[in-house]
Amino acid sequence: MEFGALFQAISQIFTPWPFFMMFIGTALGIVVGAIPGLTGAMLIALTLPLTFYMVPFNAIVLLVAMYVGAISGGLITATLMRMPGTPASVMTTFDGYPMARSGRPGRALGLGITASFVGGLVAWGVLFTVTKPLSVLATRFGPFEYFTLIMMAMVLIASVSEGSMVKGLISGLLGMLVSMPGVDPATGMPRLTFDWYLLNGGLQLLPVLIGTFAVSQIIKDSLRMGALPDRAEMSSKGMLMSIRDFIRHGVNLIRSSFIGTFVGILPGIGASIGSVIAYTVAKNVSSNPEKFGKGSEEGIIASEAANNATVGGALIPLIAMGIPGSVIDAILIGALTIHSIQPGPTLFLTNSDIVWAMIATALLANILMWLLMTSSVRYISNLIYLPRSFVLPVVMMFCVIGSYALNNTMFDVWVMLLFGVIGFLLERARIPLGPFVIGFVLAPLGEEKLRSGLMMTAGDISPIFTRPFPLAFTIMAVCLLIWPLFSEYRQRRK
Amino acid sequence: MERRSYTEIGVAAFIIVICAIFMFQAVRLPPGSFEPLGSGPVPIYTSAIIILCCVIVIVRSVTVLLRSSSLSREFKLEFSGESPVGAILMLGASVFYVGLLQLQILSFGIITSAFLTLLIWSMERFRRHKLLPAIITSVFFSFGAEYIFTNIFVVDLPT
Repeated sequence: MEFGALFQAISQIFTPWPFFMMFIGTALGIVVGAIPGLTGAMLIALTLPLTFYMVPFNAIVLLVAMYVGAISGGLITATLMRMPGTPASVMTTFDGYPMARSGRPGRALGLGITASFVGGLVAWGVLFTVTKPLSVLATRFGPFEYFTLIMMAMVLIASVSEGSMVKGLISGLLGMLVSMPGVDPATGMPRLTFDWYLLNGGLQLLPVLIGTFAVSQIIKDSLRMGALPDRAEMSSKGMLMSIRDFIRHGVNLIRSSFIGTFVGILPGIGASIGSVIAYTVAKNVSSNPEKFGKGSEEGIIASEAANNATVGGALIPLIAMGIPGSVIDAILIGALTIHSIQPGPTLFLTNSDIVWAMIATALLANILMWLLMTSSVRYISNLIYLPRSFVLPVVMMFCVIGSYALNNTMFDVWVMLLFGVIGFLLERARIPLGPFVIGFVLAPLGEEKLRSGLMMTAGDISPIFTRPFPLAFTIMAVCLLIWPLFSEYRQRRK
Repeated sequence: MERRSYTEIGVAAFIIVICAIFMFQAVRLPPGSFEPLGSGPVPIYTSAIIILCCVIVIVRSVTVLLRSSSLSREFKLEFSGESPVGAILMLGASVFYVGLLQLQILSFGIITSAFLTLLIWSMERFRRHKLLPAIITSVFFSFGAEYIFTNIFVVDLPT
């Protein structure tokens, strides 16, 4: 383990600008995470253009800090209003809100904040120990290994996404398809450009991201402009967990954190599923399962420890292999590319300062998140009542600026609006957006690896079935495809 | 779980059309000369799988609709409860705003202030006492953003 590199990154973060970025990132992340309708993905996509002119180190510190803050901030509204600020906090509403309504809002928030902190720490430990060895293993991957890994990741994303697997597949493949217009990197010839010169450069990640995640969300929120629901009275009493609490809830904390970390490592699954699994496991092994849904402390801890742990877990495949573990990781891959940093297993060799900046920020932002949230949750909770009619138009203005800033062209702004509508329609039809963005990011890499592999073997695809890793990834992909069909068939027979 | 069969059919049909257009374009691409795969097959196969998946979604949704007692009742259930006015207003105003920025008639600050004021005020249902807060918010954010982006972040803005 490279403690030297870690300490060097930490000391660099504690210089004025990077520390300011981390502070601003964590605070903004918490605030945006707390406001229902605004998500971490939206915040990070909109912040990306601001980082163009920053040094990459500061940019990465800012974005990773936002990531940590945004996942944590969602618990405030989930607890006080039964309205998850982010999808990751849905499970927290089940027990956080009843506990807050029963006169213990400080206790509910305190449990959630500390569980988030512990979840983040456990995941960070795994991130720190596992990432380097995994990236060393991944450097041995050839084109076929990478291609099959990406295909397996896509199938995995589709099979576990909300709704049906077919819809997950549609979303992922559609994301892949819309990434294809532009000059073909292998032949240098325009492809799917409809003889329109503006499409020669292809559709850029940033307008597509801002459109899909921010504009579609704005349109969705504009449908429901009604008043926000009542909230529980805020009080800071019982905010800090005692040693007795740690002893009582230690097993649940650690178990849920590991569940979250593992779920985070799996590509594209994200924090919501991590918290659902941890919550379900906690309920199943609890001696008081009847208290779940009525203000159970175990429920809050399981949900929050797991959703924060997915952040560290999801950074592992991103750093080690260049495969995004979640939607926000896909945006981070875009951020690296914009700063001319090639994500993938060689990242440790080519840009070790950036890798350690990510790892160190994941730790420090988690500590900062705990300090900020325990000290100022009372004030942050007041921001929840910002009127949407004022917030949404301003966010739309930032969407326009963000899309334009990439290439100084209005074409990107129109692309953003178009993808806003597409994203809105997909969500209305219950087609998840996560696979779409991950497909968009992974498709160019997957196609490049397949084509370079076929060039090396003169068109022979047999290495997929003769080499151990490609074969294993293919078998796993096939199993993941067949399993939902098989389980549906079994259920029907029952 | 809330049913959205009509929306699913519409969106799946829309995706099929998009994929068919992409497929038609991809079929016309020349085969690879120095590499075995060429540019066409990946988009062709991707489009084909998406179309297949969309057909499955349509068949499932049609089956659900056919099993329901009344198609018009299903339609009402699916589209009632939410008012599209806010979303149409937001989208329409945004398209108009981007169009004005593209035409470069006035500076970013002025166009954006007008856009924000009108949009905020209309979303507040033109209530008189909301006009002043809307103007203050709009001027603050539009000119503030113009100043910060052009002078501090050195990012160019439209116009």
